[in-house]
Amino acid sequence: MIAFDALLKKLKPKCDEIIAQYEQPRSALLPLVHLFQQHEGYASSEAQHAIAEMLALSPAVVESTVSFYTLFYRRPIGKYMLQVCRGLACTLNGAEDIMAYFREQLGIGHLQTTPDGLFSYEEVECLAACDRATCMQVNLNFVYDLTPQMIDDMLAAMRAGKYSVAPLAQTATPPRTWMPVQDGEVARGDKSDGAQDQPAPNNPGGLDRDGVIMLDRIIADEARFKGRTRERLANVEPALADAIEK
Amino acid sequence: MPVTKVLTQGIGEADLRDMKVYRKRGGYQQLERAFKQMKPADVQSACERSGLRGRGGAGFPTGKKWSFLPPEIRPRYLVCNCDEAEPGTFKDRMLLEETPHLVLEGILLGAYAIESHHAFIYIRGEFKRGYEVFMEALAQARKAGFVGKGLFGTKYDLDVTVHRGAGAYICGEETALLNSLEGKRGEPRLKPPFPAVQGLYSKPTVVNNVETLAYLVPILEHGPQWFASVGTERSKGYKVVSISGHVKNPGNYEVPLGTPMRELLEIAGGLRDGRTLRAIQPGGGSSACIFEEHLDLPYDYESLAKVGSMLGSGAVVVMDDTTDFVRAAFNLVRFFAHESCGQCTPCREGGHWLERVLHRFLENRGLRSDMEMLARVSHEITGINLCPLGDSIEPFLASVLKRFPEQFESRIARETFHAAQRDGH
Amino acid sequence: MADQQLVTVTIDGAQVRVPKGTWLVEAAKQIKREIPVYCYHRKMGPAGLCRICLVEIEGMPKLQIACNTAAADGMVVHTQSEKAAEGRRAVLELYLVNHPLDCPICDKGGECDLQDFAMAYGQGFSQSIDPKDAKPKAVDLGPTIVLDEERCVVCQRCVRFDDMIVGERELVLKDRGVRNIIATANGEPYRHNFTGNVTELCPVGALTSKTYRFKSRPWDLRRTGTTCTQCPVGCQMHVDVRVGAVQRTMSVESDDAISDGWLCDRGRYNVGFYGSRDRITQPLYKHGGAWMQVSWDDALDLWSAAIQEAIAVVPASAGAIGGGRLTNEEVFLLQHVFRAKGIKNLDWRAGRQRQASPGKKSAALADIEKAQAILIVGESPAERAPIFDLRVRKAAFQKGAKLIRIASTERPYPAPIRAEDVTTAGQAVRALAKDIERIAVIWDGIEPKAIRELLEKLPQHAQLSTYITAEQPNARGAEALGMLPFFGPGYTRVSAGFDTAAMFAAARDGRLASLSIFGANPALHYPDAPLVREALERTAFLAVSDLFMTETAQLANLVLPAKAAFEKTGTTTNMAGDVLPVNAAQSLESPSDALSDLEMVIALAERLGVDLPLAEELDAVVLRHLAQASEEFTLGDDRFVFCHPEVSKDPERRRGDGSAIRVETRIFAGGGTSAHDARIAELRCLPEAAISKEDAIEFGVETGDYIDLSSGERTMHDLLVEVRPGVPQGTIVLIGGLPDGPANLFGAGAVEVSNIRKDLSREPAGAPA
Ligand SMILES: Cc1cc2nc3c(=O)[nH]c(=O)nc-3n(C[C@H](O)[C@H](O)[C@H](O)COP(=O)(O)O)c2cc1C
Ligand code: SF4
Ligand code: FES
Repeated sequence: MIAFDALLKKLKPKCDEIIAQYEQPRSALLPLVHLFQQHEGYASSEAQHAIAEMLALSPAVVESTVSFYTLFYRRPIGKYMLQVCRGLACTLNGAEDIMAYFREQLGIGHLQTTPDGLFSYEEVECLAACDRATCMQVNLNFVYDLTPQMIDDMLAAMRAGKYSVAPLAQTATPPRTWMPVQDGEVARGDKSDGAQDQPAPNNPGGLDRDGVIMLDRIIADEARFKGRTRERLANVEPALADAIEK
Repeated sequence: MPVTKVLTQGIGEADLRDMKVYRKRGGYQQLERAFKQMKPADVQSACERSGLRGRGGAGFPTGKKWSFLPPEIRPRYLVCNCDEAEPGTFKDRMLLEETPHLVLEGILLGAYAIESHHAFIYIRGEFKRGYEVFMEALAQARKAGFVGKGLFGTKYDLDVTVHRGAGAYICGEETALLNSLEGKRGEPRLKPPFPAVQGLYSKPTVVNNVETLAYLVPILEHGPQWFASVGTERSKGYKVVSISGHVKNPGNYEVPLGTPMRELLEIAGGLRDGRTLRAIQPGGGSSACIFEEHLDLPYDYESLAKVGSMLGSGAVVVMDDTTDFVRAAFNLVRFFAHESCGQCTPCREGGHWLERVLHRFLENRGLRSDMEMLARVSHEITGINLCPLGDSIEPFLASVLKRFPEQFESRIARETFHAAQRDGH
Repeated sequence: MADQQLVTVTIDGAQVRVPKGTWLVEAAKQIKREIPVYCYHRKMGPAGLCRICLVEIEGMPKLQIACNTAAADGMVVHTQSEKAAEGRRAVLELYLVNHPLDCPICDKGGECDLQDFAMAYGQGFSQSIDPKDAKPKAVDLGPTIVLDEERCVVCQRCVRFDDMIVGERELVLKDRGVRNIIATANGEPYRHNFTGNVTELCPVGALTSKTYRFKSRPWDLRRTGTTCTQCPVGCQMHVDVRVGAVQRTMSVESDDAISDGWLCDRGRYNVGFYGSRDRITQPLYKHGGAWMQVSWDDALDLWSAAIQEAIAVVPASAGAIGGGRLTNEEVFLLQHVFRAKGIKNLDWRAGRQRQASPGKKSAALADIEKAQAILIVGESPAERAPIFDLRVRKAAFQKGAKLIRIASTERPYPAPIRAEDVTTAGQAVRALAKDIERIAVIWDGIEPKAIRELLEKLPQHAQLSTYITAEQPNARGAEALGMLPFFGPGYTRVSAGFDTAAMFAAARDGRLASLSIFGANPALHYPDAPLVREALERTAFLAVSDLFMTETAQLANLVLPAKAAFEKTGTTTNMAGDVLPVNAAQSLESPSDALSDLEMVIALAERLGVDLPLAEELDAVVLRHLAQASEEFTLGDDRFVFCHPEVSKDPERRRGDGSAIRVETRIFAGGGTSAHDARIAELRCLPEAAISKEDAIEFGVETGDYIDLSSGERTMHDLLVEVRPGVPQGTIVLIGGLPDGPANLFGAGAVEVSNIRKDLSREPAGAPA
């Protein structure tokens, strides 16, 4: 709290300067969050409240806006944010192996931070460096043409504090994941956020045992399903309907 | 080889980030000429006559877009869209990082053309280096008097504000971008009203892509006729194409529009040795695949539209016979589901559902009825959303589902079940 | 309408003529054609999110959303065509993919738009076989609302309501895409005066009222339309009763003139007192210091005898107070009976307010939206007339009216509603545009000086509309029907009697032999509690009719069990003069021995030998009197000024005297209905003290600390401190009407701050968590 007040005081002139760039103060919301995140490592709720006050918004509005953007972290993160591209071009060029290697080396998964607070790992959408697939960003600095050897060297250098990219500010101990937890299951890690091979939010990652049993029953009974959508499909995609008919 | 160097001129040869170098190569001369010798309407008309179409994805004629601005209402804003996040596209990032002054000059010319006194550039949050490079370029230009008050001895004030995004593909959509620029969630707005009438701060606003604006510089330099003389009947001029995937030399290549697909492939070094072509996604993640039989198509807006695909942002992703199309489809559907703003139900729920079903296929637990479901639902969620993101899910999925049904079939649960039984498991 | 251009559209073959620009959903309503919607709302306009309102328009290749497509001349629309039906079916299928389908335990079941539309337009089966996404259920959003995230269809109506209509922006959308959820900042409680509306806006069972959870199915409810009588706005509402008890109240969507289709949380949630065990169920007589139950016959005999005795000596020794909580009919008969017996000491005023009728410049509630400037003198409508306050916000936020509060000590309006705070009338007038045409003035009816000063300074050319927010719902009716010592029904001049203050003064001096109080609690609301207590104790015979054993009733000789608003029938007059129906809720059970005040007065009249107007004439008589505003008076009129002790003391008094007290209203303060409603216990106010920054420094307190206040031997404990800009130095603002910390405790005395306790949560870190 006291540390934040000091930070706020320090950044206030810069904040005012940012706000002055725009015709309407609210426009400064994203740049201000960037600014505080740069100093705190994440967008703390104190920072969000301070921004709300500066821009005459309700704290809820600021939080709502911050939560929309994946580069804003509402919980502390590691000193090295490792963001590996999972876009199509990278996947075509072996991104899956690279991601598997990262997970193995770090011992954590998508959207997680190592217990020592050093690394945070995320699999992100196309980074616009498809010509240098597979690629990643370390604290938003590009690393291209990844190989397992490069990963080994990179992680070793980071652990030794000798990596060329500066670590992020870290003002609080990061929890296991920086995604605010929506329910107990996500917190326990039973559900995934949609990384490699795991579908999106709150999803049990494919079918659980009951699902498999259900699926097998349905398979036995599949004709029922087919019939119902058959006519519709015939209008939509006759070729596919034919293909499936075979 | 039709590789040309217009925007890409000098990239890799000289450090164009340095204003001195850029100016030595003729930089900022068009800007000065425009301010000193041309009226805004002249710039506008040059753009119109060149036939330049938006390079951000929609391909809308730029001059025409500008003409929608209501004549009386001021202020007007120009926003340069550098939120490049369409899968496979990496041309704007290159322009921003390698030749920031060209981008800036384009923005200034565009702003002058529409008589705007405040221009913005919205840079994707991930482009930290691009942001830093551009900020430096802007500082140099400001110092040289190209940005700020009373440009080139005229009474014209023009300021440029750089705004960083924070991780949201949807902010590339122009109204979502404006919301983000206003400090809101990047949710696309209901249209009408269109940005040209009520955009940023409810004032008339033009949103243009980086590449679009950058082309204004050579168009002024060589004249609209020069630009209009290349390309095809309705797709004029040059285009920076991002080629990636299974090619030997992925990269950005600038070519005249209408260059045959086959040549594009060759420019990028062709397929890796011993591989055969299976599919090409010619216009970013939102476009449908084209196949071998389309290799003689000219790369232009109309030809691609005719075969049910599109040129989009000019991102060509090449896929050879090693490609797992179920995985590729899952990958893109997951992308759109992840990047959906979640306002509209079809996009939010449909994308998520498709993603989950495709994921089941990856686990070899698809159903035959799921194949119909994938085709049906992806089609049904198309055309009924607030913005085009929700409509972007269908094209790739449907095109590969139709072309490579066997790849999906091999992952149907019963099939894998029988196969396993046969193998004695 | 006349200047609006009409266009003709064809919807499903029928031609409709509507003003140009009308959304198709609205146009379709005119031919009774339902176009399903989730996100669209008439008061908030299109959002275009739910995509369920798809229609086919000839000449357009794609389906269009009817909520954001304006009717244009010659447009041909099909809502039932195959293509439109197919589009709707597809969208509905998606709604159900992840919906929990827990209809059997969902409060919304039976009146749910998802159920209804799925039934009407859905396909009847689902192709989804994957497990559904699990999301938190029964999320406690705050004191009033529970959220079920799995049921939410993200139509954002609630979010838009909080943004556009209320302006609080507490409820927002968080996260993105399929993770989108409705939430508050940091999980803080969702709390303002209008939260309950989101449960009605929610088309599904995602947002439900705590008070109504698992209470009933809609088809088991008996519904009655009536007027809310919790404040002087008079919102139209539906009362839903099951098993003899009020289960809930709902707004009336079409009520554009009064409530604008909304209800405040007081009106919506403070209805649990009807079945409260604290209700008085039988007449009670105090005998030898103890209460004994008596029959109605005995009670009426005692009461009438006391009145007869008093007037036998001198009519001036009898009087009656109350009427602001009664129906028009009750008030009229009440004063009729008393006046018939020569009793002139009649006054409805039992609290701080002096005047309730704005006179000739009175305007309709909706007219405030036309004002270019709104000036607020005294307390704002925020807590006195909440739904009227929503209109003030609408005028300021959506229609661009300039909102000015003069010498306000209240909390600021939420950010999007820009209110300018000025200290003097002069500043307020200077802030107005020179060419201003329409000004609205809102006054709380308390301090005449301030309002008169403002009226004098206002530019003469501007059209003025005036409003008075009252402490009691039917204050204006009570005034118009003669519950004033100087006005008879219809503001006819009568020879004057004592007003409330004079009656209390007389009583204190032992000169009042009989006093009857109807539905009023001066012991808690009149500015000087010590005086009221002394006066009532010395009144020879005090009869009080009320629902509960209030502070005033406890001082009575005779307590009469009254019926509450949903238990009786009649009319009420709101702050704008609209006469509104009060209807007894069907199948609601009231305490067996309670009588309405009307029934009591009729029985009393019989015993006193007073002739009454025929029942069938009563309505007409009342209406006639209400209609005739023969007296020309303005806000702060001299005649209304009665000489009760200074309501708020001069803030510029010398320091060292202690602080002056200023009282403010809160919707959930009060010793009556809200104090006896267990379902809203969480909403009830606790004592608070708002002080100025300067005083905070002087006393050494901060927001969140607790203090005691004392004056002489009287002490009030445990007030939560709020340091509030706008409060003048030397003033402490207290919440009025709190039984646990009555703001009138100290009378006119100055108070001292004592016994400061620091907020423990603010202690520096290091303390064990
Ligand atoms: C989902 C979506 C994402 C988009 N992303 C981008 C983008 O990253 N960059 C871009 O320039 N245009 C993007 N667009 C297109 C813009 O909406 C807009 O058409 C473009 O910026 C206009 O510029 P132009 O006329 O110069 O092409 C996107 C559109 C949609 C619907
Ligand atoms: S289509 Fe998708 S991304 Fe576009 S507005 Fe709708 S929900 Fe958002
Ligand atoms: S009502 Fe039209 S989109 Fe929701």
